[in-house]
Amino acid sequence: MGRLRYTISRLLQAIPVILGVITITFLLTDAIPGDPVSIMLGPSPSAQQAAAIRAKFGLDQPLHIRYLNYLVDVIQLDLGTSLYYQVPVTEKIAERLPITLYLLLSSFTFALLTAVPLGIISAKRRNTATDHVSRVVALFGVSTPSFWIGLMLIIVFSYWLGYFPATNLILPWTSPSQIDGASTQVDVIVKSIHHLILPTITLGTLQMAAFTRIERSSMLEVLGEEYVKLARAYGVSERTILRKHAFRNAQLPLITLVGLQLTSALGGAVLTETVFSINGMGRLIITAIQNQDFQLVMGTTLVFGLVFVIGVIVTDLSYAYVDPRVSFEDSE
Amino acid sequence: MSKQEKTFHSKLNRRRLLQGLGGAGIAGLAGCSGGGGGDATTEAEETTEGQQTTESQETTTESGGPSGRLRIALVKSPIEFDPIVLNDVPSTQVVDRVVEGLYGYDESTGVVPQLAAGEPEISNEGTRYVVEIHEDATFSNGDPVTASDVKYSYEAPVDEQTENASELNMVDTVSVVDEKTVQFDLKYPFAAFKNTLAWYVVPESVREEDKQAFNTGGNLVGSGPFTFEEWQEGQYALVAADEDYWGEPMPNVAEVEFVPVEEATTRVTTLKNGENDIIEEIPPKQYPTVRSISDASIQEVPGIGYFYAAFNCKEGPTADSRVREAIDYAFSMDQAVQNYVEPTGIRQYSPFPASIAEDWEFPVDEWKQIPNDKDIDQTKSLFDEAGVPDDYSFKVIVPPDDKREQIGITISNGIKEAGWDASVQRLDWGAFLDKYVSGSEDDYNIYTLGWSGTPDPDAFTYYLFGRDDATLGVTNGTYYGNNSENGKRVSEKFIEARETPDREQRRQLYIEATTTLLEDRAHLPAYNLKNSFGVKDYVSDFHPHPVDSFHLSTGHNNVSVNKQ
Repeated sequence: MGRLRYTISRLLQAIPVILGVITITFLLTDAIPGDPVSIMLGPSPSAQQAAAIRAKFGLDQPLHIRYLNYLVDVIQLDLGTSLYYQVPVTEKIAERLPITLYLLLSSFTFALLTAVPLGIISAKRRNTATDHVSRVVALFGVSTPSFWIGLMLIIVFSYWLGYFPATNLILPWTSPSQIDGASTQVDVIVKSIHHLILPTITLGTLQMAAFTRIERSSMLEVLGEEYVKLARAYGVSERTILRKHAFRNAQLPLITLVGLQLTSALGGAVLTETVFSINGMGRLIITAIQNQDFQLVMGTTLVFGLVFVIGVIVTDLSYAYVDPRVSFEDSE
Repeated sequence: MSKQEKTFHSKLNRRRLLQGLGGAGIAGLAGCSGGGGGDATTEAEETTEGQQTTESQETTTESGGPSGRLRIALVKSPIEFDPIVLNDVPSTQVVDRVVEGLYGYDESTGVVPQLAAGEPEISNEGTRYVVEIHEDATFSNGDPVTASDVKYSYEAPVDEQTENASELNMVDTVSVVDEKTVQFDLKYPFAAFKNTLAWYVVPESVREEDKQAFNTGGNLVGSGPFTFEEWQEGQYALVAADEDYWGEPMPNVAEVEFVPVEEATTRVTTLKNGENDIIEEIPPKQYPTVRSISDASIQEVPGIGYFYAAFNCKEGPTADSRVREAIDYAFSMDQAVQNYVEPTGIRQYSPFPASIAEDWEFPVDEWKQIPNDKDIDQTKSLFDEAGVPDDYSFKVIVPPDDKREQIGITISNGIKEAGWDASVQRLDWGAFLDKYVSGSEDDYNIYTLGWSGTPDPDAFTYYLFGRDDATLGVTNGTYYGNNSENGKRVSEKFIEARETPDREQRRQLYIEATTTLLEDRAHLPAYNLKNSFGVKDYVSDFHPHPVDSFHLSTGHNNVSVNKQ
């Protein structure tokens, strides 16, 4: 019951955050110099044409009226109509969001599967060659822009070696009839993974590096705790100490970071999707900004904000599973 | 002339302001070419199994019917397909295969009949055009193309106030003479109207039945050699050969898939590994890379465009022609174009793209002599003579495009070398479009921009140098036409030329006015870009086109895929 109440309470707390996101995005979008109608109609629209477009999209209303109208619409889950695509924003988001979530899921999976062992090994073999290599890899990962990694991967593995395609991400839920050379859903999934490898590494490298660093330092801290020393004194094997006593306790900082890394991952998705021509939210937001499509910019930003807030709530909830000392009752 | 009368009568590149062209990729593959690879055709077969993939690209059969699939990588995704409303280049590149006009372009810039049976009959001092529609012309659904459809197609953009309305505003009335004859009466003699006759013709009944479906391709019907098949926004658009096409030739290729790949490096990679058979827009730094691909080549043709630096002739020191000439002395445009534009573009010495200048026999060699060689002493001397304050800081604004920014930086560096301050502001399109026509010295002294249009001199003069309500401060940010007696005369000559039916008289007017404006340095012409494509060797008879971007299946070419 405590967990449910806690979840509801966190969701309620998210409302002012989302309201803040809407307000700030709305004001910033409005402050962008330039006229979206000019971009839409070209250099010399007739006054009549421009007026018609402004009226159609409510751009002829004062700022506060547009803001209030937008808030009312959002409450009704209506994010308006895209100036550029001329379709409801929710329709475009529904089309693109699963693709970005698929990419995020794969990159986080890649990051966690590589970072956790790397961090543990690095901590366990502190100041050895293995540790140094692991730290250099992590430093490289956090300091290298994802678009550069993506381009290098394309040049090496797609252009030179021809091992992976550079574009055309296949989604695992696509019907086999739509994919040449695929007769079953398994074939589609295999092809999907083949297409996903380079984008996953591109987007996942930054997370992997950040996770490795936190896993290493957290593990080092836990391995220095009194109870670990005691276990060693009792003659418990290092493997058991790591597995039973240290590992679980060292994961709390990592879990926190996973939630927080969502923001940088969403930012990285914008670049990764552009480089690999993946038709997700990242490319959508770029198109929206380039065309000053206010409704679409606000809609996509709102969804990014929501994804982040949900990610943080899920992170908080997951603490209790990892650390029994965390009580939702206490937190209330 | 009112705002309603201004025209944007190009079927392609209707965004006249060249926004999309010239964008370079995030990084180049230059220097990375020549590595690894082996047989690219084999690699392609092994590594590309995407949606709608090349695996279906089989060798064109010898049975005579269309076969094989051609994959073309575009820079952007098409977003809509109703010719009455669409207003972006990628959408046009798809729709041009499906929908025809009364007239189209030949292998260059000549206008030739498409749905029309022959040349238009022109009367009433150039204000009446009567066109007969080809007897056999039918839409892909089997319905005949009628004069009523033509009338509807020309009236709908204006009636519905779509983004294309201004392109047809010179048309006063369209009348149905009989089922196969249509008559256009213009508000004024418009010499370039034949280009407007290349406007699309759509079936009224089909479009009226469901405009939304027509726009998304669901029931898009045209009279062209291909039919619209499928579209996934941001992923691909597919057209297929219409085996019942009324005209000739029947396309060789069975299907054409248009795939958006925005990032230039990725686009080049997809050509190398065979994910795509043709890619468009090769950035300058990637020419060597594409050239090094063993089974592909670059095919290109200068487009119908004009890139330039322009001066604020309304306010500030650049309103004085001596200051403009001084700035011309401050740098070498030849050098700047050579450094930053070639080989993807070519130097241009007048507002007219090479094909127009050639077609109209304009004195390009004479105009080539007008730009000054770099001479900083002359710059200083002319600045002093014009009384430019020593502490004056020149503002150069540029749009978000690397080439145009480099031209702006070169100009700014030249001014600095002469001892005056100058700054370059790279603005987003929205901000740039607001500023470059304000005429305010606070916003700009100089700007760099590009322009595109139909292959007629009018498209490159009236909008850029006009002095009426439709152009001054709307498309003409120089205010040159209002600045001086010379400017006024130039502007009036351009307006006179557009309303003069006689070609030779028009030619003389263009020559006189252009020579004056070049000598007055209202603009410093810079370059024109090529429509460039990387094409696999197994694709034959592909034809890059100056106006239409490319032709696939026309009277002068018929592309085929001969992949082994």
